[in-house]
Amino acid sequence: MKKITSLLFPIVSGVALIAIWYGIIILFKIPIYVLPTPGQIITAAWTERHAMLASALLTGQGAVLGFTCAVVGGFLLSMIMAFSLRLKKSLYPYILVLQMTPVIILAPIFVLWLGQGLPSIVAITFMICFFPIVASTTSGFMSVDKNLLEVFKMCHATKLQEIRYLRIPSAMPYFLTGVKIAGTLAPIGAITGDFLAGSAQNGVGGIGFMAITYFSQLQTASLYASGLVACLLGFGFVGSISLLHWVLLHKWHDSLIKKE
Amino acid sequence: MKLDILDSVFTLEINKAKARLLGVVFLQLHFNDVIPNSGDCVILEGIAKRFTKDDHVLENISLKVSKGEFITFIGPSGCGKSTLLRLIAGLLKPSEGIIHINGKTPELADSDLAFVFQDANLLPWRKSIANVALPLLLRGVPKLEREAKARMMLSLVGLNNAENKYPWQLSGGMKMRVSIARALSISPKILLLDEPFGALDEISRDHLNEDLLKIREKDLFTTFFVTHSVAEALFLSTRVIVLSRNPGRIHTTIDVPFSYPRKPDLRESPEFLSLLAQTTRALRAVL
Repeated sequence: MKKITSLLFPIVSGVALIAIWYGIIILFKIPIYVLPTPGQIITAAWTERHAMLASALLTGQGAVLGFTCAVVGGFLLSMIMAFSLRLKKSLYPYILVLQMTPVIILAPIFVLWLGQGLPSIVAITFMICFFPIVASTTSGFMSVDKNLLEVFKMCHATKLQEIRYLRIPSAMPYFLTGVKIAGTLAPIGAITGDFLAGSAQNGVGGIGFMAITYFSQLQTASLYASGLVACLLGFGFVGSISLLHWVLLHKWHDSLIKKE
Repeated sequence: MKLDILDSVFTLEINKAKARLLGVVFLQLHFNDVIPNSGDCVILEGIAKRFTKDDHVLENISLKVSKGEFITFIGPSGCGKSTLLRLIAGLLKPSEGIIHINGKTPELADSDLAFVFQDANLLPWRKSIANVALPLLLRGVPKLEREAKARMMLSLVGLNNAENKYPWQLSGGMKMRVSIARALSISPKILLLDEPFGALDEISRDHLNEDLLKIREKDLFTTFFVTHSVAEALFLSTRVIVLSRNPGRIHTTIDVPFSYPRKPDLRESPEFLSLLAQTTRALRAVL
């Protein structure tokens, strides 16, 4: 019963929003190239479904590659920084500098280095995803329970055992939080990459690239449709990461334990 | 001139070496004199601990403990009783004095020592059995062997049914039992417990006290215990040591005459109650 009501609310609000949308278009006689109706957007998405799917796949590829590099690289870098305070002190400010430099400025640099296309898009996605993972994983490695460290000390644990059996599991929730944030950013990163460094192969580019094309041709309904596709891609990404989060933590971590 | 200096340095080194040699011989004689079975004992000689220059936590603590004794430190907050336990465990180093554990320093004797902390300190991502097996895992004991041992230890503390439960599924008392089982998994010669039952209700505490004594009957390890509860101290120990504070010194030592195994109703006997009153008075004197 509770489940039904909790489903009912977003459905009702969604229907209301669509009604208002239609109402505004009819009431103010807004032309299709300014604001298409939801129906027109769906129609546009359907007629261009092949191009949409191809561009979603292309963007998805960039997002997955950039994200994966960021997850692996971010985890390793945080681990290294957690074990040498000197290294952390010497590296962290420059990681911040990189994070503070807008991607809009980094993108042309990547294009100069790597050329137009996938490698640049991956690099841009990586830049966007990297920092949240490093920031939260580093704090995870640093905030290990002091009492548990004493248990390991009492047991004569080697540094490597301490990393494997204590630090990595303790840092896991922090790491996965970073991964979650990076996951919401990855599709956005890849689309930004398409936008700034994308190119068309056989007339099909990534979602960001297609959006510019639709915009320049004033195909507004298709522009909205590409927004819809980007949104779905984002949900797919975040959904699979939430699943991973659950698989790794549901047995023991407070955030996922349902207490009676 | 230079040669002279070298010569005197040389002589000094020889003298130092002689002194060391004599020291060792002296120490061994000393050991043999005091305790016949010198391999199994704990000796503290003139222990002092300062965390900063003026912060005298412990001073002039000397103590000899034979194998199988149950020593409890009791005293007001800040008297350094937990610090003393950590010194024996080798988790801290004394500022002055020497600690011998079975003739070795605490660092070298570590494998004979197990520590039960104030909190259960279980790894939240490991089931009970894996928590108990942790010290064995860290020593490289093969999986089957360490799990068999861990299962044995869990049943020893009365938790046969909890081996597959995670810490969040256990009550405070059960977590403490798992923590004790973990400490016992390496079959320690010396068990150190730092206010292990402080957070528990009185009934759970009494039960755990009785069970701790039962476990001790089976495997007579030397025990050092820290508590705030006089009744707990007297029920468990062979000797209760009352520490004063600022700095922590041994104020009184109370020998507990009751024989083991001790029954729960010992707590209501007149002898126990009079000793309780006497100890409480000693404790009040140091407050």
